[in-house]
Amino acid sequence: MILWEILKMAASALRVNKLRTSLTLLGIIIGVSSVITIISALDGLQQSIESELEVLGPSTFIVTKFGIIMSEEAFLEALKRKPLKYEYVEAVKKGCDLCTEVAADVDTRAEVKYREKKMSNVHLEGGSANLLNIIDIQLDQGRFFSEEEDHSRRRVAFIGSALQEELFPGLDPIGKTIKINNTKFEIIGIAKKRGSTFNDNADAIAIIPYNTFTKYFGDSRRSTDIVIKAASVEMVQPAMDQVRVVLRAMRHVPYDKEDDFGIVTADAIMAALNDITKYLRMGLVGISSIALIVGGIIIMNIMMVSVTERTREIGIRKSIGARQKDVLIQFMYESLILSMTGGVIGIAIGVILGKVLISLMNFNMTPSLSAIMIGLAISTGVGLFFGIYPAMKAARLMPVKALSYE
Amino acid sequence: MPLIETRDVWKTYQMGTVQVNALMGITIAIEKGDYVAIMGPSGSGKSTLMNLIGCLDTPTKGEYYLAGSRVSELEDDELARIRNKQIGFVFQTFNLMPRASAFHNVELPLIYNGTPKDIRHEKVIRAMTSVDLADRMNHRPNELSGGQRQRVAIARALVNEPSLLLADEPTGNLDTKTGQEIMNLFSRLHKEGNTIIIVTHEREVATFARRILMIRDGQIESDEVVSETEKIANGTKL
Repeated sequence: MILWEILKMAASALRVNKLRTSLTLLGIIIGVSSVITIISALDGLQQSIESELEVLGPSTFIVTKFGIIMSEEAFLEALKRKPLKYEYVEAVKKGCDLCTEVAADVDTRAEVKYREKKMSNVHLEGGSANLLNIIDIQLDQGRFFSEEEDHSRRRVAFIGSALQEELFPGLDPIGKTIKINNTKFEIIGIAKKRGSTFNDNADAIAIIPYNTFTKYFGDSRRSTDIVIKAASVEMVQPAMDQVRVVLRAMRHVPYDKEDDFGIVTADAIMAALNDITKYLRMGLVGISSIALIVGGIIIMNIMMVSVTERTREIGIRKSIGARQKDVLIQFMYESLILSMTGGVIGIAIGVILGKVLISLMNFNMTPSLSAIMIGLAISTGVGLFFGIYPAMKAARLMPVKALSYE
Repeated sequence: MPLIETRDVWKTYQMGTVQVNALMGITIAIEKGDYVAIMGPSGSGKSTLMNLIGCLDTPTKGEYYLAGSRVSELEDDELARIRNKQIGFVFQTFNLMPRASAFHNVELPLIYNGTPKDIRHEKVIRAMTSVDLADRMNHRPNELSGGQRQRVAIARALVNEPSLLLADEPTGNLDTKTGQEIMNLFSRLHKEGNTIIIVTHEREVATFARRILMIRDGQIESDEVVSETEKIANGTKL
């Protein structure tokens, strides 16, 4: 009741000095919006990486020669490892009963041509016939290749939608012949569009049978990745253990040595990326926080001026019965109104700027609720923190001195 | 039991290295319903005494009882409560909130003691009516004459029905005729049962009161009852 009345007093005091109020707001708006822009851009980045990684399901993991390498030394060490061989795929199938699907996978970059049109830097993958049961690439038209086509090294290709759009505008590509690095292939199927991340077009892809790949593009040093789907999410860890037992035996790794291969999961990639970008995030948020602190100091400065200017008003209020608390609350309200109004406007601007930034970088994102909550929390915090000192100064003024202040 | 009782009250200010005694052992008693003028030249300590009586300040030494309770020892917020409930101030410079309407100015003391809105409304109208300003409620102070502003201040002082009206040079910023009107208003409020203390340096103003306390150099110099003859001579008898 009395709090509401004091809130009205605070609001009307701010209305009196419009220019000053809006300049103060501007300070806090710049602070909050820069923090929110950064946070939502980082959030968008995260989301886009996560969606990219969704191609690997939660029960999927990949055995590679390198695994996830986080240091130069580890990389140099891993370079000495022997490549993974195709035989391992059959061995894993036999030795891992918790693995429901096991596929071989190799990849490279290639140039794809159809008549005069060509597309370079296409992601060319050689995989087993069951690859689509494991990774999240969906069939749009036609079909994927069969196990028999893989064994007999048929030159058939399953292409991404970007290739279709680029090489076959307005045409049906199924049955057409393309040249991959000058070798002729027949198109048998097209994948559903996946969208792009990091300016890397996830749809500029062509998948051919594994054995076809090794015949035409392979070399003996190329390592074959083993893509595995466990029976369930809970079975991922025990399945990995079974796979490790099989591979260590086949590669003759002594019991006291570490694995000479790596296992990659979507979670592990995400964790590694977060680890790498941790300091970048902290730095960016830190830098943008400076603007916020400056905004807070502006509020504090303005409130100090305001307390001095209104010393007499405070004296009058006290002489007619305002308690310290009443005066304190009034000035706290003023700084909170400033910081929270600035916060709300700042959040709106920050979310919009974040979106623009994200779309410039070619990601898609949804405005993050966490950014909004963080924005509200920090602007309120700034108001409380930078408002408390001026408000206490006002509340503690002696009525006699305040009344005689000129 | 007197409404106001001070016992050997001292107020000492520290001015740099020098100690200045503004009040030196003031002992006075003022009964409920009395009308007292505190008179003295400037620098005599009369304003300091008024600030102490009004609980705007606390004595360095001595005791002060207001309506039987010892207020010289109270904390800031308890003093605020007493200023709100027991004391109505009227200042020489009116001390109104410049940007608030007359209504809101009068309402303010009621807001600070948590009076509900409908009762506030009623009380403000009653107080404004008693100073003949019922038709000026939505005017801001700068839209009112000096006399009207002082009447708004008096309405604000009266709105909580205080035990004591405390006026510091209430006519100091007014012309003679308006000052006279304000003093007549105080006389009427006294007749209606209010206890009033006026601080002034003008003898004519002081003679509106029943009793005059002369203060000089921080001490009570004289304490007299104003004679009927003088009241009639000054035209200060209502």
